[in-house]
Amino acid sequence: MNRGRKATLIILILGLAVLAAAFVCLFVGSSHMTLSECVNALFGKGSAAQVRIIRNIRIPRVLAALIAGAGLAVSGLIMQTCLNNPMASPATLGVSNAAVFGANLSIIAFAGGFLSTGHNVNNYMTGVNPYATSLCAFLFAGASILLILGLCRIRSFDPGAVVLAGIAIGSVWTAATTILQFYATDVGLSAAVIWSFGDLGRATYKTDLIMSVTVAAGIVFFSLMRWRYNALLSGDSAAKSMGVQVARLRFFSMFAASLITAVCVSFLGIIGFVGIICPHVVKRLMGQDHRVSLPASALAGSLLLVLSDTLSRSLGNGSALPVGAITSMLGAPFFLALIFSRKGGRR
Amino acid sequence: MLEIRNLAFRYHAHGPAVLDGASLTLRDGEIGILLGKNGSGKTTLFKTVLGIEKPASGSILFDGEDLVKMSRRERARRVAYVPQDIRFGALSVYDTVLMGRIAHFGFAAGKEDEAVTERVLEDMGLTAFAERNVEELSGGERQKIAVARALAQEPKLLIFDEPTANLDIANEQLILSEIRLVAKEKHIAVLTSLHDLNEALALGEHFFLMKEGKIGYDGGADMITEEMIRDIFDAEVRIVEIEKQRIVIKE
Repeated sequence: MNRGRKATLIILILGLAVLAAAFVCLFVGSSHMTLSECVNALFGKGSAAQVRIIRNIRIPRVLAALIAGAGLAVSGLIMQTCLNNPMASPATLGVSNAAVFGANLSIIAFAGGFLSTGHNVNNYMTGVNPYATSLCAFLFAGASILLILGLCRIRSFDPGAVVLAGIAIGSVWTAATTILQFYATDVGLSAAVIWSFGDLGRATYKTDLIMSVTVAAGIVFFSLMRWRYNALLSGDSAAKSMGVQVARLRFFSMFAASLITAVCVSFLGIIGFVGIICPHVVKRLMGQDHRVSLPASALAGSLLLVLSDTLSRSLGNGSALPVGAITSMLGAPFFLALIFSRKGGRR
Repeated sequence: MLEIRNLAFRYHAHGPAVLDGASLTLRDGEIGILLGKNGSGKTTLFKTVLGIEKPASGSILFDGEDLVKMSRRERARRVAYVPQDIRFGALSVYDTVLMGRIAHFGFAAGKEDEAVTERVLEDMGLTAFAERNVEELSGGERQKIAVARALAQEPKLLIFDEPTANLDIANEQLILSEIRLVAKEKHIAVLTSLHDLNEALALGEHFFLMKEGKIGYDGGADMITEEMIRDIFDAEVRIVEIEKQRIVIKE
């Protein structure tokens, strides 16, 4: 089969799988509603509680999984291409570590809502302003991005230097988080640790809207640059000789990828592995052409996160397990099988 | 015509001069061979012509236009490059060659870009490979595809950095004949570095011998003598003539 047609077919199948998974995910949850009750509630019929569960809890949650999954996977793909490093991830610039520090600062030092002083987990998690923790996480993630990209702009956009700078700055944020947690109360510490687990249940229509605008803008930018990313695969000198502004492309791409990650992590907590595994699976199965790997990674990321969220809510016996752990448990065996299979090993 | 005048370059402000007043002229359709010891400044000279490095002083003109002042995209429409270390990523041969059109199409390839790609593939006998993954091809085939990608840029000057390094003798001959075809049939100026003096003598017509960032000698094949090789390479050689071909023998 022609390569283009095969890629289109795989993307189409992935798209249908995402839609099907999202639909199934709507019907799974701790309230044990039947399929017909879920469908009725979706159209505004049934009890008020059921309509609220579907419309105010499950739909924002599924949307968050679709948007964050796509955003993190695409960000991972771009970071891997820009840094020419298969281990690069959306968090390579230390974004997640910085967001965790910001959230910990908000939860532990300012009791979640800057002025709330209640000593229970709910107060710590939401506080007076439910967005305070997310805002604080985002501010620190943003500062980390600007710090690393600023340093690299002054000195060099050499991929090795960027990765090492990310590791160094990330470790500073982790150290600061450890010190903060050392002085935390038991309740504050619990709340901070629970925040870092990653939870799609925090999503609302408002957070989904902010995430979707950021992710959509990022995907449009990445799509426009798809040929330039293909050129980067040939090395910096070759890409420059083909007319690509390599340093500028690297700067704006890493900025966009890190911004997407910062927004997703700030609202949802740490969701690991999606940004590494999905681009790798796609590249191994469909090659490195960014015209294909960009949409395919986005769909694979959405699919993995929706499936992981469905599983996390099914296995948790009433409370959802950390979705980040499920993405790794679900994705890692598949990834390993692919690496050691003949198909994967050939690339 | 490529005209390089008094080119100077340092990697660090207080570091040694890698290029120190290098000058050369290369006409359209001419094959210029840049020879010199490792570290003599050959690759740096290429990088300045390609706009990868900016010279401290001097000028690089092509058909009277200043390459240094051009945007990267404008330069890529005039100058193409086949690097020594060829990497592509897991793309099809067709897409790899089409990629050479980036400087012409910007965001998305059009009909004209596809037509150029198809013509280049046909000219180089690569049409049968079009759907193959470049990563599955041999070293010689990959080198050929790198040449095809460079030709898709429709350049007036083509730069090769050690095009025969890491190739077996059959692929060496294949690439050298491609270089000859590019220069003579398409009337493109070719500037290449080669480490093998015998290959250089068989291929080139205009030789530039670099030493300490300068072009020490500039001329035809007759210019290359045992004394000159001793001066440039610090190596003792003998030059003999076999079947009208000058051969350099290492002592």
